[in-house]
Amino acid sequence: MTLQALTANRLLDGEVVFWSGDAWVEQFADARLYDAEAPAEAALASAKGLATVLIDPYLIAVTDDGAAPVSFRERIRALGPSDHLDLGKQAQGGAAIAAIQHAHGAARSTGRLSLIRRKP
Amino acid sequence: MSVYAYDQIDRDMLADRAAEFRGQVTRRLAGDLSEDQFKPLRLMNGLYLQLHAYMLRVAIPYGALDGRQLRALAEISREFDKGYGHFTTRTNIQFHWIRLKDAPDILDRLAAVDLHAIQTSGNCIRNVTADPYAGATAEEVDDPRVWSEAIRQWSTFHPEFTYLPRKFKIAVTGSAKDRTAARSHDIGLKLTRNRDGQLGFEVMVGGGMGRTPYLGPTIREFLPARSLLSYLTAILRVYNRLGRRDNIYKARIKILVAATGAEDFGRQVEAEWAALDQAAIDLPDLELARIRTAFGVVPFEALPARSTAFEAARAADPAFARFARNNLAPHKRPGYAIVNISLKAPGETPGDATAEQMEAVAGLAERYGQDDIRVTHAQNLVLPHVKLDDLPVVFAELQRHGLATPNLDLVTDIIACPGLDYCALANARAIPIAQDIARRFETPDRAEAIGELKIKISGCINACGHHHVGHIGILGVDKKGEEFYQLSLGGSGAEDASLAAILGPALPADQVAPAVEALVDAYLGLRSDASERFLDTYRRLGPAPFKEAVYADADQA
Repeated sequence: MTLQALTANRLLDGEVVFWSGDAWVEQFADARLYDAEAPAEAALASAKGLATVLIDPYLIAVTDDGAAPVSFRERIRALGPSDHLDLGKQAQGGAAIAAIQHAHGAARSTGRLSLIRRKP
Repeated sequence: MSVYAYDQIDRDMLADRAAEFRGQVTRRLAGDLSEDQFKPLRLMNGLYLQLHAYMLRVAIPYGALDGRQLRALAEISREFDKGYGHFTTRTNIQFHWIRLKDAPDILDRLAAVDLHAIQTSGNCIRNVTADPYAGATAEEVDDPRVWSEAIRQWSTFHPEFTYLPRKFKIAVTGSAKDRTAARSHDIGLKLTRNRDGQLGFEVMVGGGMGRTPYLGPTIREFLPARSLLSYLTAILRVYNRLGRRDNIYKARIKILVAATGAEDFGRQVEAEWAALDQAAIDLPDLELARIRTAFGVVPFEALPARSTAFEAARAADPAFARFARNNLAPHKRPGYAIVNISLKAPGETPGDATAEQMEAVAGLAERYGQDDIRVTHAQNLVLPHVKLDDLPVVFAELQRHGLATPNLDLVTDIIACPGLDYCALANARAIPIAQDIARRFETPDRAEAIGELKIKISGCINACGHHHVGHIGILGVDKKGEEFYQLSLGGSGAEDASLAAILGPALPADQVAPAVEALVDAYLGLRSDASERFLDTYRRLGPAPFKEAVYADADQA
């Protein structure tokens, strides 16, 4: 199955957090990756009980190499805004952050305009 | 005095509101309120949860601020956020890095300078948009701030209109030149005079952006001004009664007006209005006069129309001359100008201002601008009353703070919502697309040669970036988890309002700026002369040559 991680926002400050297996951590690189459905769902159910700690916990799909979330939205959450590279989690830098920044999803641009075809 | 002067009742209300929210936050953190219970309460105080943190949207009533208030916003950004704020297309300001535990303290800080976050969220009547040139332009029939303030007082905590089917936005423009996108609002009001010289409003209802854009049709050509609040009540009552509550996507008044037909909807409003006790709702002339007086009188000086200092600076400094050409607008008084401060320096985030920039603008307003600052729906700022004599020094100070970009309404003056960089609703980023385009056209001569060209970018179909009314509109969409962008052409949010039409298939992110360049190059080759705007050329020729310019390569592949 697709690798998954458990994420949420922290109630007190809204910070994006991930479940490491022991604690709620701020960096995706420290997240626990689930390769089976049952433990992932169990962790999610448990997180939903932490109403004074978290808002809206949910599972996200992770790339096969475990380096980054699959969707662009989740990669932004794991990094920070691209107009301020000095802000958010990306400010820490390092190889794990670079891996997320360079990850691509299913429909990446090739940079060629000829990809686009006009309907007849 | 430049903004409406609050009295003790206003101030007590804001203090009570902040104290109430402090209690609600305490109960949420203690677990006495669930998130489901708390969420509507925080939203009613402008506090959203976004991607990286909470976002606080602060109301700037009809876009008008004084220096003291802008300084307070700068202090909040420095102390509670990350040193900057984002001015929005609804002339509010958003802070994107707020902690829940700090929000009550921030509301206290805001209340201390007569600011708040009321009517910035929820299905209520939102903060009113007004002409940023109010009280300064010779074009205006009457000052729209007076009527906007009357609407604010009438609508704030209005028990009947706090839980409408959906949010509700009103714009008031004081002149024929529309700087509010009036026809894109739930209600657009245009001040006008009838043949007898009586003051009134043209009333447009049922405009909106979002997934189903409409331009609001006029349901009444002339409403006597003093009947404004009773007529608004009648419109809201019809909407409250008939607006759909079963489907969030069909709940805005635009859907009701389109389904009912403008004529029939107008008849229902007239019937409702006739049955109302209008005198009990409309403000007495005395109260309207009091509101008008509470804005104070600007102590204009009698000045010659021509300023030697201004003319000398314009002749000596080409950068100043360019700024004067692009960013100044005529003032109603001789010897004064309206100064537009662009928050669109190429490569920067549209609408963002740092704490230092906010303080610089506050200082300029206090020293040279009658302590008056406006926010525009195009995410720029305005100093509405500056003496021509003072413009060289104001320009130098703006330059020093990176605020003298001479690009008002040009290709680099791009509207962009926060998009997927910040917003939990977005499908794609808007800011980097704006930055790419702006960098491509950053040579000022080139931008000026292209002339007026309004590019508007939204990161999702909610259309906060007003892409439906862009000369070039750009909408971010999600395709299998990646960002793509749909181009639309031919929209306008001004007095010649129109909705943009989709040009063709969505483009990958790195092809958007090249596509815009292709559109601009096509326009430059097609325009009849330099006075024909991009929009005019598009309207004259239609989409075919522009489609060809962007997608021709695809056909050859």
